[in-house]
Amino acid sequence: MDSTKCRNVMTSVAAALSIGCAAAWLAGWLTDAGPWPVRAFLLSAAVVLAGSATALLVHHAGRSRRATERYFNALCEANPDSLGGLGAGTALPSPPAGAVWAEAANQLQERLAEFGRQIQELKHAQTVWDVRYRRAKAERDRVMAIFSNLAEPILAIDDYDELVLANRSAEEMFHFNSEKTESRALRQIVHCQKLIDLLTTTCHRKTPAKRSDELEVEDDEGHRRWYRVTALKLTGGQGRSGESAEAEDGATSQGAVAVLRDIGDQKALQKRNAEFVSAVSHEMKTPLAGIKAYVELLVDGDAEDEQTQEEFLDVINSQADRLQRLVDNMLNLARIEAGVVQVSKETRALNELLEEALNVVQPAAEAKQIELVADLSPMYLGVLADRDMLLQAAINLLSNAIKYTPAEGQVTLRSRLEGNEVRFEVQDTGVGLSEEDCRRVFEKFYRVNKNKEMAPGTGLGLPLAKHIVEDVHGGRLAATSTLGEGSVFAVTLPNAGQLT
Amino acid sequence: MSKRILLCDDEIHILRAAEFKLKRAGYEVRIAADGEEGWEAIQTEKPDVLITDCQMPRLDGLGLVQRVRKHAETADLPVLMLTAKGFELSHDEVGRKWNIRAVIAKPFSPRELLNLVNAIFQEEDSESATAVG
Repeated sequence: MDSTKCRNVMTSVAAALSIGCAAAWLAGWLTDAGPWPVRAFLLSAAVVLAGSATALLVHHAGRSRRATERYFNALCEANPDSLGGLGAGTALPSPPAGAVWAEAANQLQERLAEFGRQIQELKHAQTVWDVRYRRAKAERDRVMAIFSNLAEPILAIDDYDELVLANRSAEEMFHFNSEKTESRALRQIVHCQKLIDLLTTTCHRKTPAKRSDELEVEDDEGHRRWYRVTALKLTGGQGRSGESAEAEDGATSQGAVAVLRDIGDQKALQKRNAEFVSAVSHEMKTPLAGIKAYVELLVDGDAEDEQTQEEFLDVINSQADRLQRLVDNMLNLARIEAGVVQVSKETRALNELLEEALNVVQPAAEAKQIELVADLSPMYLGVLADRDMLLQAAINLLSNAIKYTPAEGQVTLRSRLEGNEVRFEVQDTGVGLSEEDCRRVFEKFYRVNKNKEMAPGTGLGLPLAKHIVEDVHGGRLAATSTLGEGSVFAVTLPNAGQLT
Repeated sequence: MSKRILLCDDEIHILRAAEFKLKRAGYEVRIAADGEEGWEAIQTEKPDVLITDCQMPRLDGLGLVQRVRKHAETADLPVLMLTAKGFELSHDEVGRKWNIRAVIAKPFSPRELLNLVNAIFQEEDSESATAVG
């Protein structure tokens, strides 16, 4: 039995006993005043009255207790939703009539209804926030996935120069793992002073600014790679832990971010272009030097006799021709590359064309005491070719072989029919090429480092030959070589059959 | 006895122009087609001045100057360098490092080359006179 019920029963019993005692006292007083039948009647009446009163009190107390119990049970079982949705007096039972606490119960009920409404609002808000949270989380996961997989290394620091964000590329580049790093201090994680200085300086600048610099970093294999770093001061929103570092212009500083872009290809291109310009200038200056020197000798009257004067003028003429050839070579390559060159293809005898090329380079071979061997097929080899262009390609290949073959070496020009194709190759006993040089030797402006001093060149002869063979004639040009033994440059062209 | 000058260049027409100018001025001129040939000529008979091109086959001009400076007998040989090289060669730096009297950019003036050679010999003559006096 709970305490409320016990108290109700006790109150009812006390009331009944009081009434009974009062009745007994009245009966006792009366027994002194009359005959025994009267006293007996009165005593009985007092007992009955006391019993009835007690029964009435007990009944009343029981009913009141049950009504109270029903009311509070209903109240306890009430759904918070119904509390708010329906309000007091509808879904909930009314307090028992006449109960002294009815007013208080009504007020309580109104408060409960208010709480119910608030709970409903909170539940609605929670649903909305749940949806927003899931969307935001999905969006964040997507952004982080993109960020993480970006090829460009990205690092972000806060106002305390601590690393707050780094993608996978940055971790690989600077050899750290964001999740396992104990310290967050940028200086202890990234061992690149130039990057640290750029990021921290940008972060602590008073005005928002973008700063950029070039950075050379060594990769895992020990190769040095070039990057362009762009550092940007981050502003807006709250700083770490709600603290805010106000920049001078009022924007809130959130640290700085650095994005690194690989500029290795750009650097290599710049280097190749610089080398090309240097090679071209060297090639142009040499004949110019001859022209200038001989003109000056003539002007100064150093050439007294007519024969010497003619000799000097011949030199000037030949050097001017040399200059012309260089310019033509560069223009040819540019025109072929741009696709503006006129191509006139006819079926031609390859061997005749090769013999002509041999005649052109013969003087250069003789000057270096190089034996020029013609090992041409006895069969007719027809090719659909632009005569001048294919001749140029053959001359370039032969000239290249002569340039890089030491004196008293041998250069062989060979031609063969191979199935549906014809092949000609230039084999030399020169210095040879490494595997990498074999791959790169057809790149424009590329010159093999160790051979640069061996012979002057622009790095255009072989690229031009490759363009002519592959782009103009649909053939193939490949190089094979053994360092110190020599190289073979082989051209394969479709067989065009008989002369038409 | 006329002064001896050694000219090293792989471009025959450059050699001929310089040789012609210097010979007309009364110098004894020998020529070499590359650094190796030049070094052999120096060992055979030490010249009074070496004029060398920078970019040559087999042994380039700087390689030749290094050999010259390394050997005690030739370490003090006055050197003039001709070059058609571009930005990759710092004339001042090369001149200081290898004690090259002058680095002359191509296209060059034979007249100026002769003036430089004359200046070297005049300088040497005045130094000798000071030493004797």
